[in-house]
Amino acid sequence: MAKLKHALSGAVYTLRPDGRVEVDDRGSVGVFEADGRWHSGELKSADPHMIGWLVSGLTAAAALAATKPAPPPRRRSPAVSETTGANHGTGETRRENKGMDLGLSGMKALVTAASRGIGLSIARTFADEGADVAICARSAPGLEEARKDLETRGVKVFTACADVGDEASIKGFVQQAGEALGGLDIVVCNASGGGGMGDAAWQAGVDIDLLGSARTVEAAVPMLGESEAGSVVFIGSTAALEFLGMPQPYSAVKAALLTHANDLSQALAPRGIRVNTVSPGPIYFEGGNWEMIKQAMPKVYEQALASCAIGRMGAPEEIARAVVFLASPAASLITGANLVADGGFTKRVSF
Amino acid sequence: MASAEQHPSPGARSTGVTYQELLKTDSKPVPQVFAHESPADVGPLVVPRERFISREFHDLEMEKLWTKVWQMACREEEIPEPGDHVVYDIGDRSLIVMRAPDRSIKAFHNACLHRGRQLREYGGNVLRLRCPFHGWTWNLDGSLRQIPCGWDFPHVEKAKYDLPEARTGTWGGFVFVNMDTEAESLDDYVGDLSAHFERWPLEERYKEVHVEKRLRCNWKVAQDAFMEAYHVIATHPQLLACIGDCNSQYDVYGNFSRAITPNGTPSPHITWEATEQEVLDGLTNTYDDEEALMTVPEGMNARAVMAQAMRMQLQRTVPGVHDLCDAELLDNFYYTLFPNFHPWAAYNRITYRFRPYENDPDRCLMEVMYLMPFRGKRPPPCAITRLDFDEPWTNATELGFLARVFEQDTFNLPKVQRGLHASARSHATLARYQETKLRHFHALLERYVSA
Repeated sequence: MAKLKHALSGAVYTLRPDGRVEVDDRGSVGVFEADGRWHSGELKSADPHMIGWLVSGLTAAAALAATKPAPPPRRRSPAVSETTGANHGTGETRRENKGMDLGLSGMKALVTAASRGIGLSIARTFADEGADVAICARSAPGLEEARKDLETRGVKVFTACADVGDEASIKGFVQQAGEALGGLDIVVCNASGGGGMGDAAWQAGVDIDLLGSARTVEAAVPMLGESEAGSVVFIGSTAALEFLGMPQPYSAVKAALLTHANDLSQALAPRGIRVNTVSPGPIYFEGGNWEMIKQAMPKVYEQALASCAIGRMGAPEEIARAVVFLASPAASLITGANLVADGGFTKRVSF
Repeated sequence: MASAEQHPSPGARSTGVTYQELLKTDSKPVPQVFAHESPADVGPLVVPRERFISREFHDLEMEKLWTKVWQMACREEEIPEPGDHVVYDIGDRSLIVMRAPDRSIKAFHNACLHRGRQLREYGGNVLRLRCPFHGWTWNLDGSLRQIPCGWDFPHVEKAKYDLPEARTGTWGGFVFVNMDTEAESLDDYVGDLSAHFERWPLEERYKEVHVEKRLRCNWKVAQDAFMEAYHVIATHPQLLACIGDCNSQYDVYGNFSRAITPNGTPSPHITWEATEQEVLDGLTNTYDDEEALMTVPEGMNARAVMAQAMRMQLQRTVPGVHDLCDAELLDNFYYTLFPNFHPWAAYNRITYRFRPYENDPDRCLMEVMYLMPFRGKRPPPCAITRLDFDEPWTNATELGFLARVFEQDTFNLPKVQRGLHASARSHATLARYQETKLRHFHALLERYVSA
């Protein structure tokens, strides 16, 4: 609560949790909207500048900002009067953003299992950076929704149903995607067999997470080798790095993936292809595992949440940004890395 | 242009402590630049309202002022290399402010000499100035380089078709332009301004923040609001415990003026005795229900505590920070170089500029820059954040808590513009001492428009 006394009249102005301002002038009380209009109570007039000071501004937008966290810093636009950039020839200038350019405009990115959740978020982020995208999923309706969404972002989009656990299916998809987009610069292996226990879970982990990722890369390497900045990102998990409560096949499988990514990074480096891994911690989204766990096993959910040092689980967009950065030409020196994005969920030092 | 005449006369003042008395309590020796006054009972006490609202007066300003006076166009750091340039617009006029190959700065009128097309629409870096219409090309120094189908222009004497230039000059790391080629030099125009900024050379700062906001009022209505502290009592009432508003000092020096508003001293308006802790809480914007950020130790006062905190904050970037006096770390020193340039001295970082918005007497652009000291390699200047008419200053988070102060100031301004249109009086009336800077400004403006 923010409370302020008017230095001249002595009236006390209090910013209430609902965003309104309560004014108490020697016992006479009134409540005002953020823009200074009287809402209720007996006192009918208040100092608008004091109200504005409490709500950080005198427009509705600023009043909203007072009850929410501050908006992120504005992206500095490159327009007019302050840009510099080399130019050759006609006297036209390349308007250059003084900030980091990821270099993804016009590149071609493939993301497996991308009709929802983290995969879709990755595809959206690539598209927003100007990269053409190819995505696959097992079910057509979800894929169609995703395709429509991605097409609104002004890039070329290729979609096809594919089963990453089936050799012919995934290799076929990679070929088609390359033909449709005119090549491939980036591959993100996001498909996963998920959690579970027992032989079936082991098999799914090996078929989809390990073999699936290995085959996706194998099929894509000829095209990635042609690219000026070929790169691969595997999606790992913090489960590979720390015990998560029970010995799941998922954890061992993801650990194996890390080693394979490392080895690939050395082997493919001479061909100009970088290979990295992003290891997410708990990521919460509608229709995702953690939403289901929250409803069905609230204690497990609470425990996991309590382990998140930043006090919340991650969002798909936060993984997407890490993946897109590592995949992009801007990360040109980074290969064989494992970027853990987990809000402090794991406690170990990342040697 | 001759300086405004000065008739020094004290006149009535606030009963609060004067700035000169306050300086005597400083913990370090105070430089002469503060320890003097230069009051002047100069300029009109009334200003015709049509100067703020009429198209005719706006056009008169374009004809008699903006094309004849030294005005700030950009920072030198924005155009470091040959080919770097900024487009400076004022009303209908436009200049390309260019770093030439010999590293001098030139200003070209932004129009092709063939059929008038604007040569540059935005700044950047170019190898040559080439018109996108028919390809007429000039070198970066403004000399004509090439006309396609030169054979078709036997009537064009090449030597007479170099780009027409405006005068340029630099002060404090800023580039100034003047479209009047007969005008006195910038050095003569600014007079003693450099002496005032000797301790804080603004050419040794870099531009860390630059926000340009559109406002629905005349540029002079906006500017006048930032040239006096009289408005604090109603517009920034939350500051009254910790600001010397009506006991500020106002000084006049030729083409520039200065106001000094001390922080860390309670306003003479308040009717209760503020403790030093209450003053410090005001300075740190600590609300009544919050724990104090800093406490005032026994025997010290709020000014000393705050000044010490500022020294800690600046010690990494400012050498010799421990020799700076409290006043230069705390107080507001706001200068105005006629017509529209407001560099703040000492460590308050602010510089303002005000310009008409396009050709509209009822709208303007207000710019706030923060110029920061730095150590080692010069950081690049920031990009400009542009806020539209209805976007609050608080959207530019780089402004920090001052954004909220600007919100309070500019909350009034469109209402002033509206009120001037609706007023039954033909004149605005000015305070005799506290609105010295406004009186000085309007006196100089009168000289230009009646020339």
